[in-house]
Amino acid sequence: MTIKLPAVAFRNVFRNLRRSILSAVAIAVSAMAIMALLALLETMESDMEANLTSFYTGEIRIRHAEYEQYERYNPLHLSLESDSVINAALTVEGVEAATARINFPANLYLDGKNNGVMAVGVNFDTEQAFIDFSTLITKGELPKEGHNEIILGSILARELGLGVGDKVTMLTSTALRGSNAMTFEVVGIASFPVGGLSTKTAYMPLDRAQYLLRMEHQAQQVLLLTKDGYNERAVAASVQQVLSTSLEHGTETRAWKDLNTMYSYLSIAKFIYYVMGAIFFVLGSTVIINTTMMVIYERMREIGTLGALGMQGKELTRLFLLEGSFISIAGSTIGTLTGVLIIYILSRTGLNFTEAMSGVDMEISSILYPQVNWLIALFVWVYAIIISSLATLIPSRKASKIQIVEALRYV
Amino acid sequence: MSKTKRIASISLLFLLMIPSFLFALSGEEIIRKMDAQATFETSYSTGTIRTTDRFGTKESTFKAWSRGASDSLIEFTSIAERGQKILRTRGSIYLFYPDAQELIRLQGAALRQSVLGSDLSYEDMTEEKNTLNDYRVVLNGSETVNGRDCHVLTLTAKSRQVAYPVQKIWVDKETYLVWKAEYSTAQGRLLKEMEVLDTITVAGRTLGRETRIEDKMKRDSATWMILDTLEVNIPLDRNLFSLENLTW
Repeated sequence: MTIKLPAVAFRNVFRNLRRSILSAVAIAVSAMAIMALLALLETMESDMEANLTSFYTGEIRIRHAEYEQYERYNPLHLSLESDSVINAALTVEGVEAATARINFPANLYLDGKNNGVMAVGVNFDTEQAFIDFSTLITKGELPKEGHNEIILGSILARELGLGVGDKVTMLTSTALRGSNAMTFEVVGIASFPVGGLSTKTAYMPLDRAQYLLRMEHQAQQVLLLTKDGYNERAVAASVQQVLSTSLEHGTETRAWKDLNTMYSYLSIAKFIYYVMGAIFFVLGSTVIINTTMMVIYERMREIGTLGALGMQGKELTRLFLLEGSFISIAGSTIGTLTGVLIIYILSRTGLNFTEAMSGVDMEISSILYPQVNWLIALFVWVYAIIISSLATLIPSRKASKIQIVEALRYV
Repeated sequence: MSKTKRIASISLLFLLMIPSFLFALSGEEIIRKMDAQATFETSYSTGTIRTTDRFGTKESTFKAWSRGASDSLIEFTSIAERGQKILRTRGSIYLFYPDAQELIRLQGAALRQSVLGSDLSYEDMTEEKNTLNDYRVVLNGSETVNGRDCHVLTLTAKSRQVAYPVQKIWVDKETYLVWKAEYSTAQGRLLKEMEVLDTITVAGRTLGRETRIEDKMKRDSATWMILDTLEVNIPLDRNLFSLENLTW
């Protein structure tokens, strides 16, 4: 039978518009939800990457080989000769920038009470490539090398009632397994994208941290950034090799992706969400399956007539499949575009997780700005169409098995 | 034996035992003598704290002054801690660090923090020698420690303000030196052990010259406190134990 199936299928979509709209809306809602979810996940991943490489690990982190084994004891004596390591690392092809840091737990002594903080000694000049402090400072200025000055996270400063110009004494354990205390002047307040940093950290010049901790010329870790186009793991391996020949002790030199468990979980979560996406679409497709079955039963006599006129079972299947596909395309398109619109709006307003993240130590910013990713949009659009269309295959195949005589008698 | 003779024998026996009743020391009396023999009007000493843990051995040297049972001042002379001081006076402990512009007053749980990463806490190093103020005492007989006949006493804290709710100590019957001590929680969990390894005799009193302390909450850790020199009942500046002097 010569019949233009796509044209017929397209016309049939409008025969019961309300039902077609209902099916399309179900698919659209699923597509919109998955679009938003995947975009958010993508944003969380890239945000975490930015935070990790800036504030925590760099793209490559170098530490003393034995540090990790005793990490819970904060073994500052297992340190690196910072200048030697940095100079050696910078000779390796692919290394763009290097900086030395010392992270150490400390107490700020105020009104007879100790307040736990995480202090970080940094070279504010070399840190520019990693952390743009100038954009984070909300009050005051950066500490100067050689001066007992610190900047505090904004939430920490607020909770302790400290402001620019105030002095506070910091107590800590030293690399010589003793204790020491020094009084610092608060010269700046900084607001970090990661809430945990604003709540707990105090930054000071590296040389003052080295003096306080009895770690002259030493650093707890050296962080590296790689040039564009270079694989971090490969560069890390090269750096480790160079350091093995130039240092007396071994080092642990690893790319950031190998360091953070939370980031790995996020990557695994992405895969799980894609599977969940498929389940979402299947659930959304139950509507279209239901409506297609209703259409088949309603048009039973029509099916019988078409069969009597010579339409083959396969053509019947293709007809209903095409009808379902057109509805899927419409629903998927509307849903995807709506999802894109929602993401665009959120990219302007931001998603504020400050309350939800308070007390949670994750390397994700408190306020996220999801970005429109057209690749994800395309993926969701195609994904939705395929799954929804395939879902209509089930009732469509049923249509091909209907007996013509039975169908013609159907009332 | 006639009734009269029996009564006379019993009476005589009782009369013979009276001196032992009269001269048997109570737990409290032993503790008082123990505290008294360790307390001098004034003292000055120098010494070393050696700590061994999973990372190796660390030594710190100090000078220490004391007055009576309550006031003590320790100044560290080793390079890593040079100039740091610990003052105990009027029931409080203060820390001085050369690079800090204020004194740190230790209170509550901070008193139990480790000094220089050792098995000694700030409270251990500067403890007041007024044991009966804080503890009830029970005398549990005698044992021999290091060849010395010792009273065995159990001390139970009167309040929750002390670091060690229960202490078991072995006090030399002659010198009233504490040869050994076990410090525990109220539930009996062992927190620390102390043992005197060597003694010194000053002004007729026997004191521990080398003492080993082990914090049972730490793995593979032990501290030796060694007295290098000790002078007693020497003239000391009255202001030595003041907060003003601490900052000089």
